Amino acid sequence: MTKQKNTLTDEEMKSWINEKWGYEKLPMGGSVPYPGSSILFKTGDWSPFKAVVDNEICTKCMKCFFLCPDSAIQMDDDRYPIMDFDYCKGCGICAEECPADAIEMKDLSK
Amino acid sequence: MMTKKTTKGKRVGMTGDEAVANAIAVVNPDVVAAYPITPQTIIVEHFSDFVHDGEVDTEFVCVESEHSAMSACVGASATGARVFTASASQGIALMYEILFIAAASRLPIVMAVANRALSGPINIHGELTDQTVCRDTGWISMFSESAQEAYDTSFLAFKIGETPEVSLPVMYGLDGFILTHALEGVYPLDRDFVKDFIPERQMVHPTIPGNPVSSGLLALPDYYTEVKYQQELAMEEAKKVIPKVFEEFGEKTGRHYSMVEEYKMEDADVAFVTMGALAGTTKHVVNKYRDQGKKVGMLKVKTYRPFPGEEIAKALKGVDAIGVIDRDLTFGSPGPALYTDIKTTLYDYKDRPQVFGYVAGIGGRDVLVEDYEYIYEQVLKNKGTEKSVPVEWIGLRK
Repeated sequence: MTKQKNTLTDEEMKSWINEKWGYEKLPMGGSVPYPGSSILFKTGDWSPFKAVVDNEICTKCMKCFFLCPDSAIQMDDDRYPIMDFDYCKGCGICAEECPADAIEMKDLSK
Repeated sequence: MMTKKTTKGKRVGMTGDEAVANAIAVVNPDVVAAYPITPQTIIVEHFSDFVHDGEVDTEFVCVESEHSAMSACVGASATGARVFTASASQGIALMYEILFIAAASRLPIVMAVANRALSGPINIHGELTDQTVCRDTGWISMFSESAQEAYDTSFLAFKIGETPEVSLPVMYGLDGFILTHALEGVYPLDRDFVKDFIPERQMVHPTIPGNPVSSGLLALPDYYTEVKYQQELAMEEAKKVIPKVFEEFGEKTGRHYSMVEEYKMEDADVAFVTMGALAGTTKHVVNKYRDQGKKVGMLKVKTYRPFPGEEIAKALKGVDAIGVIDRDLTFGSPGPALYTDIKTTLYDYKDRPQVFGYVAGIGGRDVLVEDYEYIYEQVLKNKGTEKSVPVEWIGLRK
């Protein structure tokens, strides 16, 4: 078994995403030898619907933070949720589960 | 061509399955994950004896199905391990989904296939269809004519598949019962040979601790085409690598193989073209015709994928007519697997023989010398016709 290290550099990974590499440059077999590469893929444009919080109603229970499948919800210093629209795919789980009904899925494309 | 004279050492009696199990024990792979199925059972059974007796260092994974067997192989191979499995017929059908993933992930898993007819009706006997239906999975695919050839191909498969620029899984077939269960004299090889012939596997991006790699990923329309094209290039590369590997093996063992074996083709007017164990009977028939002064030859296609089209066209130059004998089935197609590939290949060549197709020996039915005589007569009878001649099923009762 080989123990070679062949991880891509940050620059290489960024150039792969920006330039859309062809078959000559792409690593073999569709592998991505770069840990945590998904952070470089902005998936926020997958849906026009985004989770918008009304801090007036929010009870800071953090349920949305724990349930977001994309970890696109962070808490601010006052424990209010901040939605990261670079990664929010608009699935609506947070809005559905919010006990206080403080989250609304809004069509931000309009 | 096989030359028995130059073979060294002691000849040992083995069935085809035992030959494969013994070969794999010499290879001593890191992981074997397999599920038993007739007529492959002896390979797995016999190999597990070696594991129990401590003769190999292999991690043997007793899986619950062939789908799991191939999945375990994919996982193990992705760490850079040398991996083997074996199956047949329904087992191949069950692991079909994972075969594509193994090839696309460029994992050089080696699989012996004890070629058996597919259900239904249920049949356990020899037929190549279980392997020919895998032609589009992206696996390198080879067939053998004898237990010795199956034994040798076990080593060839690892060497070819693990060549870094190829990095493809390899399946190699041996006809169910005809090869798997018949006892033959086999010249064995040893661990020193393996050390020299198949060096440690070098994987570019192994999934091992401290070297994070994501594999088996999603590729949407923006990348799928490029990743698949890499597989096509790997097959092209395999076409260049395989003859070199065969040559090196020939130099070291005295047993010579080629992608297409030409048997008495030098001045042949008529030729039989076939794959697998049928080649043995075909050689006997060719010898018989040669004794009668008839210019008959044979082509044995050893590597079915990548398909050696150019080599076949070259070998068939100057031949008037050929009878392609398929021990496999396709339905509603222009013809069975080997026949359609050969006809497609020859279309681009001006100097080409007329091609007639025959389905024979399916479900383990014996293909007798009389069947060859009938095929030979039919080829001569149809030669020169401008009409399309449908593929004929040999020995079919009305």
